[in-house]
Amino acid sequence: MSTDQVLIVIAISAYIMSTLALFTYFLSRDRLPKLIGIPFAFVGCAVQFVELVYRYQTSHIWPLTNLYGSLSLFSAMSVAIFIGFALKYDLWFIGGFVEALAASFLAYALTWNEGYLPAVPALQSYWIKIHVPLVVSSYAAFMVAAVTAFLYLIKYYGEKSLERRGFAATGLRTAAAGGPALGGGLQMQAYAESAMSQRMVGGDFPALASAAAAGDPLATWLSSLPSLAKLDITTYRIVSVGLPLLTVGIITGAWWAKEAWGAYWQWDPKETAALVSWTIYALYMHLHTRNSWRGLRTAWLSVLGFISIMFCYLGVNIWISGLHSYKM
Amino acid sequence: MATSEATRSPSRLGAGLQDGVRELLGQLSNFWFGMSLLAIWGFLTLIGVIVDQGKDASFYETNYTPALARLVLRLHLDNIYHSPAYLGIVGFILACMTLATFWRVIPTRLPPLRAVKIDKIPLNASVTVRGDEATVRERVETFFAKRDWLVRKRELGGVEWTFADKHNWARRGVLVAHVGFVVIAIGTTLYWAFGYSGQTTVLAGSSVTIPESKAVFQLDRFRFRIDPIQTRSGIVYQPIDYVSDVHVTGKDGKARLAQIRVNHPLDIDGTSYYQASYGFAVPFTVTKDGVPLPNAPQTPLKEGEGFQLGDTTRAFQYAKFVGTIGPGNTIGADPRPNNPGVLLNVFDGNQNIGSVLVPLERGIDLGNGYRVDAGRYLLYSGIQYRHDPGIPFVGIGAFVLLAGLCISFYFLPARLYVRIDGADRAWTVGIAATTVKGYDIYEEQFAALVGELERAERPAVPRTLAAGAAT
Repeated sequence: MSTDQVLIVIAISAYIMSTLALFTYFLSRDRLPKLIGIPFAFVGCAVQFVELVYRYQTSHIWPLTNLYGSLSLFSAMSVAIFIGFALKYDLWFIGGFVEALAASFLAYALTWNEGYLPAVPALQSYWIKIHVPLVVSSYAAFMVAAVTAFLYLIKYYGEKSLERRGFAATGLRTAAAGGPALGGGLQMQAYAESAMSQRMVGGDFPALASAAAAGDPLATWLSSLPSLAKLDITTYRIVSVGLPLLTVGIITGAWWAKEAWGAYWQWDPKETAALVSWTIYALYMHLHTRNSWRGLRTAWLSVLGFISIMFCYLGVNIWISGLHSYKM
Repeated sequence: MATSEATRSPSRLGAGLQDGVRELLGQLSNFWFGMSLLAIWGFLTLIGVIVDQGKDASFYETNYTPALARLVLRLHLDNIYHSPAYLGIVGFILACMTLATFWRVIPTRLPPLRAVKIDKIPLNASVTVRGDEATVRERVETFFAKRDWLVRKRELGGVEWTFADKHNWARRGVLVAHVGFVVIAIGTTLYWAFGYSGQTTVLAGSSVTIPESKAVFQLDRFRFRIDPIQTRSGIVYQPIDYVSDVHVTGKDGKARLAQIRVNHPLDIDGTSYYQASYGFAVPFTVTKDGVPLPNAPQTPLKEGEGFQLGDTTRAFQYAKFVGTIGPGNTIGADPRPNNPGVLLNVFDGNQNIGSVLVPLERGIDLGNGYRVDAGRYLLYSGIQYRHDPGIPFVGIGAFVLLAGLCISFYFLPARLYVRIDGADRAWTVGIAATTVKGYDIYEEQFAALVGELERAERPAVPRTLAAGAAT
């Protein structure tokens, strides 16, 4: 087994260990699995970057000229972005999802590894060192955002089920009278969250607090997650990183296309799919300013955006022929 | 009375017209109207992704079902991105975006300083402080000013209000982003109006004149490099380099030696020339009973071109250059011209009846005395050219757009409404906060700010939580 293969195996193993530990943390909220999972996340991510550098050092071929290299960077960047946000906003509970996806993508990347292949003429440009990492990083950010949006949806529909099971809105009164404090001790008033006239405290359904107080296990577990409002803001913050990255990625790609193909925009399937994804996320940012859209609808939009990104990334590369069909 | 009616009518008409214009502008800048336009744009773009673009009518007739081919051609879906409908919808979206920016977004993003009901704003707090009124007001203002808040005072309805803004300038981020779009649109319009682009091929040893720029390109030599690389699934023939060595004559009339390479375009008099493609041109000789046919091709054919076989209904199309003819007359994997040949598609009328592999410099008998000979190949280079005076605008617009996005995303404009009420030496400072991104996003910072104010005003009575409004 070659050195780079050994490094990949180490990275995948670390991600699997981290996934198991952080999933356990997600379900139990015990500190121990979290403390075990975090170092594995760091190790997996670091080893992946080492592998990419090693690959470049041994072959002198930029490792992002094919799907193997870019998928490898994608999984490393998704873990790196996750770690960055987890450090700042204590998001370790999403680690199980992110790292499971990262490990899956890395394992899938291995199926495209054909060894060291020099770049075709169109890829022999300094732009590949700028454009590809930017775009792949934006995809990675959107993946992490989709995970937080997915958790939002889990929590939302979980709370909704509690409401359907008859837990009344007594929690609202409890919270307003000095229940679980938000934001360093300051109470934010309950307010009309949406046109659905669903009144929430910190974005959560009032039924959650009453169900948790009644000892409902689902409610107790859901209460251990951040509030819906916090999950929504976290998704927004991650998209705020991904969208500028994608924008710069598209701009640098257009610049490169002008140098390589003679036109900055040719409606190539990849360009079109990237524009559609960009539009979805721009729409997300616009709609997030509206109370009636913030939350459930924008969470769905984030998930839709990631599906669009995956089509743009893998679908176009693998299934549709065009100027960006770089598989090997 | 009559005079009075006469003077009123025009003003009423004017007011009606104003209302109509206001209603129209309101409709055009309406969010859902914009979304509907975007949905139409997305649908048209999707058609462009699914339907092959820029092909000949025969392509659709051959590859699509007759009904679908008719639909594509009649509705001009074969070139949808340049269709009036597509360009119109893009222009309409840009116009509506501009309108929405100025008509709706900016007025709400730059709210006037006005009195509010503090306890009705979700982010609110009250802090009790002591001291005489003037000192308390001064302390509160200094507190915010020291933390980079822009403090302004207004007397509204007999009450003195203090307004504090942070990142107020960033409220214009959305405007900046939209301006970026407009600049990009100007750039693309400039290209439509004054730019041109095209593609040409030139055989090694011959020259070509670009019709728009009048530049003359003589291809001295075309070079390519394809390396066999051993991969895990076998040998891959990887293209490494394509280079055209040319003599180019621009407006100054002087011929100069230049190279055009992929990723290294050549700029002559403001027009860029790109290495786009290459191929193998092959001369064909067609004879019947050893006599050359008069309608045989006179010049080497490029891939895709064809010729008619004498007076018959048969035609041949040079489909593909085969670099290596393998054992058993098969097409080898190596694209480099080792044992080259050409693959000819044979047509009877419009019907493709098969294909035949013809080795170069050797011919094949076609029956009935007909024979086709393929001569030695000649390399040709495909050069793409483009003159785009809008490029600087597109570049600047892209960066303005990006700057606008960064301003909008990474700076959070917030406004504090501060009202001080009380009497004697006990005062309540009511504070409410609004941001352009809702309340949740500012909750923690607001709590921290109020906490700081409390600590700064010690010994103060503990703050009262905003309660009761929820119930």
